[in-house]
Amino acid sequence: MMEISNPEDPYKKAYEREKKARLKAEEILENKTRELFIKNQNLKETNNLLQQHQAIMLQNEKLATLGTLTAGMAHEINNPLAFVKSNFESLSKYHNAYAKLISFIQQESDNLPKAIQENLTELIEEEDIEFIQEDLPELMEDTAEGLTRVRNIVANLRRFSRTQSTERSLANLNEGIESTLKLLHSELKSGVNIELNLQSIPDISCNPNELNQVFLNLIINAKQATTDQAQPSIEVTSQVLESQIVITIRDNGCGMSTETQEKIFVPFFTTKAVGEGTGMGLAIAYGIIQDHHGEILVNSAEGQGTTFTVKLPIN
Amino acid sequence: MKGVIFNVLEELVIEQCGMLIWNEILEEQALEGAYTAGESYPDEELFGLVASISEKTEIPIETLISTFGERLFKGLSQRYPSFIEAESTLKGFLKSVHDVIHIEVRKLYENPNLPDFEYTDKADDTLLMQYRSPRKLCILAEGLIRGAATHYKTPVKIEHPTCMHKGADHCDLVIRFL
Repeated sequence: MMEISNPEDPYKKAYEREKKARLKAEEILENKTRELFIKNQNLKETNNLLQQHQAIMLQNEKLATLGTLTAGMAHEINNPLAFVKSNFESLSKYHNAYAKLISFIQQESDNLPKAIQENLTELIEEEDIEFIQEDLPELMEDTAEGLTRVRNIVANLRRFSRTQSTERSLANLNEGIESTLKLLHSELKSGVNIELNLQSIPDISCNPNELNQVFLNLIINAKQATTDQAQPSIEVTSQVLESQIVITIRDNGCGMSTETQEKIFVPFFTTKAVGEGTGMGLAIAYGIIQDHHGEILVNSAEGQGTTFTVKLPIN
Repeated sequence: MKGVIFNVLEELVIEQCGMLIWNEILEEQALEGAYTAGESYPDEELFGLVASISEKTEIPIETLISTFGERLFKGLSQRYPSFIEAESTLKGFLKSVHDVIHIEVRKLYENPNLPDFEYTDKADDTLLMQYRSPRKLCILAEGLIRGAATHYKTPVKIEHPTCMHKGADHCDLVIRFL
């Protein structure tokens, strides 16, 4: 006689088989979801990096265009400035000659015939010669000062646009940072906490004076940004990262808006009050670092502080 | 609540009482019962099922939840063995729940509504786990810990001096490793 099997058995077997298949399907789904998550995460990171690089590229392009423009401007201003300055020096000499002549005439006027004496006095009064004598030296002085200022502006513009190549020597940037801090000692001793974290870095071929100027500008800016902080602090670090020397100057100061960050390396851009800043400090720093084939980057959050990062190639 | 929790509850009931009972319980609750691990289902469905099981088996709800916790650990460890393999001790595993396992869960699911754990590791033989969850399923957590203890063959004594069910904003689960 044929054995009658329990009719439930085949269904139970099928149920168990299905269940096993479902668990496997769920496992596959989860693994795929995890893979997708990780890929998405990587894509987001890459996208962020790309955006950052694009922003930096745009910024660099803009600054390169500005560099060409300022180089041209500096050159165009320099030419007339050269002859204005040269003429001005001649004028100063001529003025001396005329001044001597007038003093002589005034001294000797008593010896002149009466009628001529009267005419001379009249002429002196009419042309206000005495006032001219008094005012001229001051005018010359102010003009000389004005010319010096124009010359400095042009020089700064040229430093931003790096039209002059400079001499290089082997130097250690840690020493530069330390000597800059010493130089700023009196400026910084009023309550700013300076944290130095300098790791051993190799000497590089550079213009140490120029790089010190970069550090000086960055540290002074950091100091000024922390003026209103209860516990102002500036951290300066140096290290070697992937065949580059990386120097950071971080402050816990007022920080900058994104709009400001976009403009800080542009010549004449300043957030300081009129007369307090030339707006050339960071533009020059940018020019110097470009000239050293390096990078200068800013990272800032309003109310939290700013970090400047200078990267310089070791070779 | 994720479908996987329902899946393990289903396994428990089928193992202990048979498939007929599970079908009856689903019918009583007017539920289809087709739970997919990664999908979210209303908490009320789970609580309804637990109430129904308790009624049918005459096991008090608290005991049932605690037993379910132990079984849930087994179910989860079978499905996700890598988390168990990553930790060689019970304490290490318990500490990885919040910082490793829950982070992995969040990678897979948005808003998984996971409980919050804070750890205080004062002595070698004691671990304090602070449990916080709007679901107040501290008994389930205790069961899960017991399930893990069985897996790691590490006997434990769990005390529960502070409890959300007694008005506190969190539960203290003091685990002593014997």
